[in-house]
Amino acid sequence: MLHENSHPTDQELLLAADGELSARSARVVRTHLSACWHCRARMSELEAAIVDFVRVHHQALDAALPPIGRSRAQLSARLSDLAAKPEANSVRGFFHFTSARYPTAYVCFGLLSASLLLALLTGQALRSILSIHAPMAVATTVEDGVEPNRKLTPGATRPVSMHDVCAVAHEEVVVDVPSALREKILREYGIVEKRESDFEIDFLIAPRLGGTEDPQNLWPEPYASSIWNARVKDDLEERLHKMVCSGEVSLKTAQNDISADWIGAYKKYFNTDKPINLTTTVDVSGLDSYVSKLFAKMWPSESTIREKSSHDPRRPMCQVLIRNYHLVGRIT
Amino acid sequence: MESIDHISLPALAATASSPDRSEIECEVMRFFEEFRSPLLRYALSFGISVHDAEEVVQEVFLALFLHLRSDKSRKNLRGWLFRVAHNQALRKRTTLHQQVQTTSFDWMEAHIQADPSPNPEERLFADQRTQRLVAVLKALPETDQYCLRLRAEGLRYREIASVLGMSLGSVSISLTRSLGRLLRADRS
Repeated sequence: MLHENSHPTDQELLLAADGELSARSARVVRTHLSACWHCRARMSELEAAIVDFVRVHHQALDAALPPIGRSRAQLSARLSDLAAKPEANSVRGFFHFTSARYPTAYVCFGLLSASLLLALLTGQALRSILSIHAPMAVATTVEDGVEPNRKLTPGATRPVSMHDVCAVAHEEVVVDVPSALREKILREYGIVEKRESDFEIDFLIAPRLGGTEDPQNLWPEPYASSIWNARVKDDLEERLHKMVCSGEVSLKTAQNDISADWIGAYKKYFNTDKPINLTTTVDVSGLDSYVSKLFAKMWPSESTIREKSSHDPRRPMCQVLIRNYHLVGRIT
Repeated sequence: MESIDHISLPALAATASSPDRSEIECEVMRFFEEFRSPLLRYALSFGISVHDAEEVVQEVFLALFLHLRSDKSRKNLRGWLFRVAHNQALRKRTTLHQQVQTTSFDWMEAHIQADPSPNPEERLFADQRTQRLVAVLKALPETDQYCLRLRAEGLRYREIASVLGMSLGSVSISLTRSLGRLLRADRS
């Protein structure tokens, strides 16, 4: 624990210089430095070492960097090529790779997997098309994993002052969970390695609302959640941050509400029973048949999908629709 | 059933909340303008050639395009860019069998430019000091070098921890240790 009268270590001095200390600890270090020439001299030496490193780092490397023009043009062209390719490119690449190297067994496996995938996605597409007719029913449905397991993730907070909470705008706070902690959370939730990329480790109580980077405050939130997803939760966190800082809601209430049931808290603070971004009025007359027809045209084979990508000007629009309604974006 | 042709596509476009591809391409190009030089410097720090480092950077932004197109998390994209660059550069170095033989500091030693000071005595002193610093940096563990470089490119401790798969405490210890060594070298 830092005290104004004890000399901070070099590590604490560097943390303070880099703005990585809590507001309270930073204040203690500042107060100490204003009184202690010895530590000010050490701080200056550390700063001088940083200046030296940055000078050496840039001195050789900057001179070696080629002008940006050529690589900019190259990237632009490659992006255009990539954008013109169907998003299932990677799936095709897998089949191509396996068929070239392991002709029989892997192709059989690939065909079987493709059949299962198609069956699964068809079900999703149909469910989602139905959801266009009945948005209210879908919007109130809570999918697996969008709320944490209370036993594993009850929420955890640290002591913070209102100044700590409100000194920085909510959107400026970007926190990424270290990979070791991420793995621990996934293990606790029994998520096998293969599916790790399908999850984002999210804070139940956001750091800016006093939440800690603690396994009790973290859970694997599925990317695939279509309605109550991480973005909706981000909106809630931002709303609560504003309400706490304007005095409309106490910090304790905000922490309790979000940790008890964040979806319930969203409904309470946005006064809605579905996420705001889904309530935009959309004229969906004929949309289901449009999507169905496009799917009907695209399902038969991979070659048909490939063909449509190059010839059908409506295909990009279908992809927008698919993404917008969270249908089966990754198959096209 | 209504024909596809009867649907107004512009009207449908207006309903879309996700950016279309051209928007994503523009977004990727904006990121490229901002992060190309820092990422290129970082890729060069793996001791690969400028050509290979440029290729790594291209791959990073192509991966970013796919990432954004798949509607994946946009949290900490700067850390994400450096993490992909780190992995790609490591892969490139391994593929090229350049591991360990060359480090960025070997490369820098060869390319570092002489101090422009007109006073020969000052120039000699500055050059000797730079050589001494480079010698210390070369002797640092590789992870410590990465930490320093990522910090020099403006990454916060959390971002560095995420790129290198370390804890926040380890990042802090690594940076303090490295700067301590630089300080001692300067005093000697």
